[in-house]
Amino acid sequence: MYKFAHISDCHIGANREPALESLELAAFAKALDICIQEKVDFILITGDLFHANIPDMRAANEAVKKMKEVRDKGIPIYVIYGSHDYSPNQTSMIDILDSAGLIKKIVKGKVVEGKLKLEFFEDPKTKAKLTGISARKVGLEKNYFEILDRETLEKERGFRIFAFHSAVSELKPEFLAEMEAIPVSFLPKGFEYYAGGHIHQYCEAGFPNYERIAYPGTLFAGYPRDFEQSAKGVKRGFLIVYFEDKVKDVRFHEVKVCDYVYFEYDVTNKNSVQARTDLLEKLGKLDVQGKLVIVKVKGELSGGKTSDISASEIRSRLIEKGAINVIVNRYGLTSKEYAAIKVMGEDIQTIENKLLRENIGKVKVSNEELKGEKGAKLASDLLRILRQEQKLSESKKDYTERIQKMAVEILGLEEVFK
Amino acid sequence: MEEMEIVGQIVGGKTAKILIREKSGKKIELGDLLVVEENGALIILQVYDLAYGSQIPQSMRELIAGLKLEGYGTELTFLEPQLRNYVIAEVKAIARVEGNDVRIPKSLPSFFSPLRHVTEKDLSFLTKPPNPVYIGKVRSGSKVLNVDVFLNGVDVFTHHIVIPATTGRGKSNLVKVMLWSILDQPDFGVLVLDPHDEYYGRHGKGLKDHPKAKENLLYYSSTPLAGTNTLIVNLRSIMPWHFQGIVSFTDAQWDAIRRYHNTFHEQWIENIVRGTEINGVAPRTLEVLQRKLDNVLGVYLDDAGNIQCRNRVFSETAGTTTTRDIANALEAGKKVIVDTSKLSDEAELLIGSIVASEIFYRYQSYKSEGKLDEKPVVSIVIEEAPRVLGGDVLASLGENIYSTIAREGRKFKVGLIAITQLISLIPKTILANMNTKIILGNEIAVERRAVIDSAAQDLSEDDRTIASLDKGEAIISSSFTKFAVPVQIPLFEKYIEGSEKKSREEVVFVG
Repeated sequence: MYKFAHISDCHIGANREPALESLELAAFAKALDICIQEKVDFILITGDLFHANIPDMRAANEAVKKMKEVRDKGIPIYVIYGSHDYSPNQTSMIDILDSAGLIKKIVKGKVVEGKLKLEFFEDPKTKAKLTGISARKVGLEKNYFEILDRETLEKERGFRIFAFHSAVSELKPEFLAEMEAIPVSFLPKGFEYYAGGHIHQYCEAGFPNYERIAYPGTLFAGYPRDFEQSAKGVKRGFLIVYFEDKVKDVRFHEVKVCDYVYFEYDVTNKNSVQARTDLLEKLGKLDVQGKLVIVKVKGELSGGKTSDISASEIRSRLIEKGAINVIVNRYGLTSKEYAAIKVMGEDIQTIENKLLRENIGKVKVSNEELKGEKGAKLASDLLRILRQEQKLSESKKDYTERIQKMAVEILGLEEVFK
Repeated sequence: MEEMEIVGQIVGGKTAKILIREKSGKKIELGDLLVVEENGALIILQVYDLAYGSQIPQSMRELIAGLKLEGYGTELTFLEPQLRNYVIAEVKAIARVEGNDVRIPKSLPSFFSPLRHVTEKDLSFLTKPPNPVYIGKVRSGSKVLNVDVFLNGVDVFTHHIVIPATTGRGKSNLVKVMLWSILDQPDFGVLVLDPHDEYYGRHGKGLKDHPKAKENLLYYSSTPLAGTNTLIVNLRSIMPWHFQGIVSFTDAQWDAIRRYHNTFHEQWIENIVRGTEINGVAPRTLEVLQRKLDNVLGVYLDDAGNIQCRNRVFSETAGTTTTRDIANALEAGKKVIVDTSKLSDEAELLIGSIVASEIFYRYQSYKSEGKLDEKPVVSIVIEEAPRVLGGDVLASLGENIYSTIAREGRKFKVGLIAITQLISLIPKTILANMNTKIILGNEIAVERRAVIDSAAQDLSEDDRTIASLDKGEAIISSSFTKFAVPVQIPLFEKYIEGSEKKSREEVVFVG
């Protein structure tokens, strides 16, 4: 029986705090050590190996050393781009490592007569056939799925793995409800395994024609929310998939690099002085020695400023008590006296939408189309257009014209610019 | 009157029964719209019955017919027959038009006035309203005029629509035409519970072919097409009140459900299916609940102790955000089709109940927060509406979310589009809240009577007209139209010709 490791969302370089950075690298190293011990036949990383396409070089260097160790043991590492390490010009760290032969990008294909024809990459040892679709920024990989020639892929025989870095609507956890996602029906049917990335929480499910779709989740943390989830008990790790002609078993391997303490404090009905005193007193009683502490302060102060609840004060107090690091979440903290617009969200898009909705009222305009929900939606649509990147084969002039045309359409000003 | 082509003349009658003598050689049809011009105004009249008239006594006519039939006088004829024998049309005045001012006529047109057929110019007051929903073209008898009929979507959707008709009269064609016309309008979210999977266009033309379908249309099915969504609802999204008025439970069973919900919250179904015993619920009641949930949801415990779902529409692990995704889409003014063709009646209505509850209660809270004005109207298309709005159903199972929406929805901008063959089963108290009826052909007298009794305009004389409506012909009776408008609904495939999706722009692939 063969086995491969399915790892995702390592986000190397996401954490700049030295303590967190070393934990992030420790998680990555630990995962690869388990792969070596378990003698996996290959490793598949389904996106966001790095937090940026040109990541923090110190962190990247450490990660590369570890990958070299794995490679030297004869274990190939296959990857796809994630939404963070994607590069439209194929000039990311992923491409550099691919060129150096340390890792192998498995996504290959071309658009023929409007259809995206993907090629399979065959693992020499296990003969597993891998293909997939990398992520692009803000879910734009959806365009690829729309034109994907599924039929040809479905006809291929053998042990087939489809790798992708997109949330699947049917599998989204509730806290990611607003995340951009693709329906499962976009995937080619009948593959033996669907290796997902992008959802930072382990989940696995089957649907008719898609018997095994799995996301290992993040190895450590790419966003502050990940720390909070970990502290609340969400396990971090990766999957080892055992297979012959079909998947025989999928096992989750936990990668634990530290203990967490989660502390939530509600300030409601207290003024800032009372809340600060009470909070610091309660924090003082926590056992934080050698632990990563997440403090969430929320609610509405009856008086005083939210800045009176100082994140740096909380942090230094807990570091003094021996915490490895402290992450303070004050997004849910408001004050009756100093109402400021603060939003919480699970991803950039949600936060952006909420901010637009909250702030639209402050913009004084006479046109009804620019007010309220309509105005917020228009702004959001316009931003989506303006974010589009220049295509590889597109001249700057064509790019400018395309964006202008789309923006004019979104604004409904075709008549004006005719 | 210049070049007026006279088709008849008023010869008698009273307010709702004006008698017209038909001009020889002109054919007046049931449902024809005729016009009397009077002091710069127009009075539009509609034909609802036809009869023979003759100046020759009946016995004489019978004798002449006998002579001709028995070969005694094949050459026999009436002297100036066009003067002696004719057709009498019974008509009613439906509108008085002065410029763009349209009113219900309060006086009779002048005695002996000549009449002509209505022209497109006469109907220029039928303008396109804001938020237009297309229904078809004005019809005069069987003649179709080139005058489009639109309804104001915000008005008619919030005040509910009923579409009564027997099978094969074009109900779903009408709804497809309406939805196509509003698919690019963000002012309405529409949820279609589609038990026949006929709206999306899985096997032919459908709403999927709309140029804006990619942005504005979502399709959920247990057998999704590429790029469409799997209909899968997490068991934890289902709350006890979603079953209210949909599934029959005894008092003891309701009590047990409440206890499970209070104990396990959103995991109440899982615990019933797993057979977790709790205080106050008899093992026998638990067994019955397990059986009922199995019947409705298809959920059961397999030999390995895992919860399984026969129709794979309900799940313990997936579909956590389905309800929210659908409600979000509706709130964003999108149209959502849920293919329930492979589900049981109860499962279909339950899924509708889950989504409808989510949107209704959201909108209730928007109203209390003062945000409702910014939200689009949401309408829910429900086929075979008496399943949830029928008097006997409401009497035996109690109120459900659909009947709540029918009674209270307009306050919260949530409406129903109820499609039914048997409108007579829906109580008058509910029908009274449904202010627009798009009446298609119906050969069942009881059903016609129910339609007429609940119409926004006086249709008491239109029984025959309704009975004679052909496929695609309809009458719109609405409190938002000045009179009951006869329309010809286009065939969906014809209607969308030329406006379908264009090919996509070229995509450059980066692997």
